[in-house]
Amino acid sequence: MNNRYIVIVGCGRLGSHLANKLSKCGNSVVIIDRDESNFGKLSPEFSGFRIEGDATQIDVLQSAKLGQADILIATAHEDNTNMMIAQVAKKVFGVTKVIARVFDPKHEEVLLKLDIEVICPTAAAAEMFLTAANRQS
Amino acid sequence: MNKHSVLVIDDEKNIRLTMMQALESLNFNIVTAVNGEEALQIMKEKAFDLVFLDLKLPGIHGMEVLQQIKSNWPNTRTIIITAHATVEYAVEAMKYGAIDFIQKPFSIKEIRELATSVINRREINESNASDYPSLITLAKHKINERNFVDANEAVSKAIAVNPNAPEAYNLLGALLEIKGDWLAAQKFYRTALDLDPTYKPAAANLARTTSLNRDGKISLSHEKDEKDE
Repeated sequence: MNNRYIVIVGCGRLGSHLANKLSKCGNSVVIIDRDESNFGKLSPEFSGFRIEGDATQIDVLQSAKLGQADILIATAHEDNTNMMIAQVAKKVFGVTKVIARVFDPKHEEVLLKLDIEVICPTAAAAEMFLTAANRQS
Repeated sequence: MNKHSVLVIDDEKNIRLTMMQALESLNFNIVTAVNGEEALQIMKEKAFDLVFLDLKLPGIHGMEVLQQIKSNWPNTRTIIITAHATVEYAVEAMKYGAIDFIQKPFSIKEIRELATSVINRREINESNASDYPSLITLAKHKINERNFVDANEAVSKAIAVNPNAPEAYNLLGALLEIKGDWLAAQKFYRTALDLDPTYKPAAANLARTTSLNRDGKISLSHEKDEKDE
């Protein structure tokens, strides 16, 4: 899949990794982070755009042309930040596909009700631990 | 048919890469330059149909590059690449003859649509425009070419063909606004709205010209319509 317009919030380990991969496949990627130094994690081949700013501010999302995005991916450190941005993307900007990372599995349910896809590393890791533990016994 | 040639002038590698990705599949000949000096040197050796120009360049300023392109290669069309915070420079550049501008960040789809639409605008001329839609299209193209006399004529013909549609009055307003006659421009934007209160381009132009900050893009038609062209 390429040729999509994708906005990623957070240029940490996960955000930058996704940005590099999605950009390499030929998608138009816009990555937003409050701290400019985090853009150093992007690879030299990254052909997308960087926006330094707070993605909880609506004007920052507007400057990323979120209304035109095919996908929004929220990978900020705070669950609440990701949940808020994901809801704004869905309800205000009408983005069809919104994917948010939340660490607390309790948050997963709320977002699913709002038609927001959720990736919960805690729940995913727990499953893998359980599988591994059961395999050894 | 000859391949259209496009020159991309930008110091940022990611923009040049995006442009290459976007335009290569349209079968355009693409050349890139990292600054104005290099671009002008390249242009001396080869003619281009279209130039994408970033205004913020190291060395010669983009505005200076634009002026040199306009005076030395008047048939080359220039699209300005601008950041969110510097849209007013792009508006200024339009006054110096840039045909359009695109705001960063942009998608590959936007670039393709803009490049195709600008290249296609050349194909329409006075001889094949007689009905209302083609006269309106012609007028818009003439405005983009900065040929305001011909644009005026096309708009007048369009009004004669159909005096009850809002588009032509909105374009008349745009022409007056370009001339700097704000009050007369507003009058025509209002006429367009009287005919069709839901006609958004006129509403946007009226709202902009009556606000304190008048800078911004003049709306010539619905965005969708422009993409359809």
